Amino acid sequence: MYSKSLMDRKTIIYLTTWTLILAIFWLLLSGYFKPLLLGFGLVSVALVVLLIWRMDKTDKEPQQLSFSLRFFRYIVWLIGQVVLSSLEVTKLVWGSSKKLSPATAKLPVTDIPEHSRVLYANSITMTPGTLSVDIDDDYVTVHALDEKSIKSLQQGEMASKIAKATGEKN
Amino acid sequence: MILEVISTILLILGAFFSLTGAIGLFRFPDFFTRVHAASVTDSIATILIITGLILRTDFDLVAVKLLFILIFLLLTSPTASHALAKSARHGGLLTLAEIRESKKGDND
Repeated sequence: MYSKSLMDRKTIIYLTTWTLILAIFWLLLSGYFKPLLLGFGLVSVALVVLLIWRMDKTDKEPQQLSFSLRFFRYIVWLIGQVVLSSLEVTKLVWGSSKKLSPATAKLPVTDIPEHSRVLYANSITMTPGTLSVDIDDDYVTVHALDEKSIKSLQQGEMASKIAKATGEKN
Repeated sequence: MILEVISTILLILGAFFSLTGAIGLFRFPDFFTRVHAASVTDSIATILIITGLILRTDFDLVAVKLLFILIFLLLTSPTASHALAKSARHGGLLTLAEIRESKKGDND
């Protein structure tokens, strides 16, 4: 089909992984094993893999799926943080609103690998009480309900955990 | 039986946090702080309610689908909050602290 120069070994492994993941995803969502529906699944998976291949050829940044144990550990830690900061915000909601001390700050993101910055900004927004307002090459602008949460972000625990959780692949 | 009790507790807690988010949405003073209130509903209420629902299934495909819903909600709702906040910021909306500072500047 395609000559070897177009598709090296890495690409083939990468596309096969995606095919498997998408096929499992389809089967889990449908749960039917009738030929017609399996056929639809096959066509969809093939179409998506073709799109992934074409898009990666254009933008030259294939998205590696890095589901390591560290990543899951990070997710567990993050959910813990979400619970803790939710309780903080809940206190602020039910308490007197004069205690609010909203603050904005710019946090450097240059230490974090480029492909993990989205995860960082998303984690900041996911924990209640902090909200990533803007992100550019060097800084992420964070708005927080309480100055304390800015300080704890500045200590960089979340940033270093993200760098550890995803950094190994690069 | 035990699962049902745990699930009930999780669902009630989830409902409580949803309510908290809604009340915060009304009580907080400006746009940015209100987004924070809404994110309580986005994050912890979603986790609690969907976990509570998963415990009520027979741990079959329905549970897997609920898990997918949870994952996608946790990915998309911070993105939506970020999009809102970013467009507000780029549209020139000031935060409370900045408004206070600019008022101080006017008085001087």
